[in-house]
Amino acid sequence: MSVLDTVASLIFYPPIWQLLILGFGGALVVAMVAVWFERKAAARVQRRIGPYWASPRLGGLMHLMADMLRYAFQQVVIPRTVDFWPFIAAPIFGMALSILPFAVTPLTSNPNFWPLPPALMEYSLLVALAITTLPPIFIIVSGWAANNPFTIIGGVREAFIILSYELIAILSLFAPAVAVGSLNIVDIVQAQGLVKWFIVLNPLAFLAAILAVAMSTSAFPFEIPESEPEVVAGPFTEYSGILYALNMGGAYMRRFVFGLLISLMFLGGWYPIVPGEGFILGYALPSLVVVVKAVVVVLAISFLRAIYGRYRLDQALDMAWRLVLPLTLAGILLALVEAYLGIF
Amino acid sequence: MVEDVRIYGGWKDELGLKVVPSKKIGKDLYEVFIGPQHPGSGHMRITVRLDGDIIVEADPDIGYVHRTMEKLGEIRGWIKPIPLFERMAIHDACNITMPYVLAVEKLMGVEPPLRAKYLRSLLCEINRIGAHLYGFAIFGVFLGHSTMYMWAMGDREVFIELAEALTGARLTHSYPLPGGARRDIPADFPDMARRAVNYMRKRLKEYEKIFLNNPVIRSRLEGVGVISKGLAAELGIVGPNARASGIGYDVRIVEPYDAYPELDFEVPVFREGDALARTMVRVEEIKQSLRIIEQAVEWLEKNPREPIVDKYLYGKYPPLHKKIMESEGRAKLLPISAAMKVPKGRAIGRAETGRGETIYYVESDGGVNPYRVRIVTASARNAIAFKYVLPGHKIMDLPAIYGSLDYFPPESDR
Repeated sequence: MSVLDTVASLIFYPPIWQLLILGFGGALVVAMVAVWFERKAAARVQRRIGPYWASPRLGGLMHLMADMLRYAFQQVVIPRTVDFWPFIAAPIFGMALSILPFAVTPLTSNPNFWPLPPALMEYSLLVALAITTLPPIFIIVSGWAANNPFTIIGGVREAFIILSYELIAILSLFAPAVAVGSLNIVDIVQAQGLVKWFIVLNPLAFLAAILAVAMSTSAFPFEIPESEPEVVAGPFTEYSGILYALNMGGAYMRRFVFGLLISLMFLGGWYPIVPGEGFILGYALPSLVVVVKAVVVVLAISFLRAIYGRYRLDQALDMAWRLVLPLTLAGILLALVEAYLGIF
Repeated sequence: MVEDVRIYGGWKDELGLKVVPSKKIGKDLYEVFIGPQHPGSGHMRITVRLDGDIIVEADPDIGYVHRTMEKLGEIRGWIKPIPLFERMAIHDACNITMPYVLAVEKLMGVEPPLRAKYLRSLLCEINRIGAHLYGFAIFGVFLGHSTMYMWAMGDREVFIELAEALTGARLTHSYPLPGGARRDIPADFPDMARRAVNYMRKRLKEYEKIFLNNPVIRSRLEGVGVISKGLAAELGIVGPNARASGIGYDVRIVEPYDAYPELDFEVPVFREGDALARTMVRVEEIKQSLRIIEQAVEWLEKNPREPIVDKYLYGKYPPLHKKIMESEGRAKLLPISAAMKVPKGRAIGRAETGRGETIYYVESDGGVNPYRVRIVTASARNAIAFKYVLPGHKIMDLPAIYGSLDYFPPESDR
């Protein structure tokens, strides 16, 4: 009994539960569902069936499982011309840092289930956003280490896109914090309550956040750094097998992290569920609501692929600085006005 | 004395002589080889030299799918080159073999009956639509628009099936023969064709919504890859690409062949010369091809069936062949055609294929094989455009320009 208790307490120890089991495992499942939905929805628009034969009853959901298994067991070919250690390390660090924000994102207001001590929760938004800025560096490193014209061009493009859209993503996610006057994610969610969600109160920042997330995580129609017709697979051209899967999976993880943050910042977090005591009411249900909202955000971004083409790099940057950045600043201004009026 | 000093465009060797590599690479230029093993290059290589993100120099390197069509055409009689030449552009099979058939007809002095001419033009237009839809599909995937790719490829199936109903083969129809065509239309073909035409008209409106008027696609195409009228004429660009630059040149009008003199259609011409204009020309051409299909099908339905080969050749038919022609409307090849001799002479055949004008020069020494078959395809003439249009554009414009030129390497390399 005591062993089981120990194991249970170890598994449910918030950092482990949240980072490894919920974070990595959950995000893997979410990535699978997101990719499956992306392919299925695009197939519907494009009058195809999409993934099907791997599991006809599940609508081909297992197809993605098969893909992952294939990546896991594929031979990893490492060309002789690459810079070995950065080449190997970049995808691993990129993936690790992509899922790290799960470790600081609270999914409930019950302090027993916070991943950080309450004193540190004051800065949870700041820490989460700070960590999300790190993985792109490793994408650029992997592009540079692979030592190939396409990877280098892809890496430089990634740098351009990140420089413009990461800033916007962070600024627009700060808008609710400005309005509430707190960097504590829990406070921001509690302030939104049942109706005062920031998607209604600050649609400008929400729109900017969605756009910036789609761009900075290179969601499919905006995958400028990896655009196939010019740069093959961008920074990931020389990767194969599990390393390639880590690289591509990292982007989905980051999108899911941003989806979580958006669902907490703009979509009212765990509301309409008010977290109570105990595991079910205090953690399982609220976190499920948050994750479902995040999945909806991720799927909405995924669906764009069926409709839009790819912007040119300079057009994407132009859009960032001329359109989306002013939109973000207007969102922050709106947040300031709301704070002045004392809505919260 | 070894001088270890690099000089511009080369270096000095041990004797102090200047060694210049075959290509000068300017300072601070980044050389990228796009192709032949590249998802966005097709069977060719474009050597691109970049200054930052701007293409300074572009070198199209063709010939990776060269299959010695001209030489092979000299060793397999007069009929068998038709299925061979189809392999240059299998989705445009009737169009690409048409000039050869026209040239051989000139040499043989035979003239297909009007019904065969209509049948051939009908298949040519079905092929033209198929070729343009194929081009759209590739263009869509080049611009990251996967929906356009799937839609165009799916809708192309309609016209492939139409061609299958007419000829029995989905792609390599081997339909035109010197002096005729292979099959008459089946009984249910007119209805099928009309349904396909109506369907495609409806679909073109949806293409406009999702692709042609899509703000992202528009911004990628407008003002990109402009070929002025003068440049187009200078480079000898043909087909929809020339017509997008304001050159109203179409072999169907300039030197009408087959049933085109009898058919009512327009040749769309745009003046802008950019990638968008080249795309719009193709859309308009699809609309005109649909009109031609309607007219041809109506004519074929209204007029009585007759033997679809030249009168002189039909006279040579044995009774069994005649019976098959009368009952099934199918022109069986004469046994003699395997060792057919064509009178001595030389002839030129021209036709407007999906990608532009294709010319065949056929020379006969009176033997069982052509003495010489010279082929100049439309893509071969458009390939030069890469060199002059790409410089000055961003590297991300390369797929937009490549796709809008609708360059098809197997057709170009022959």
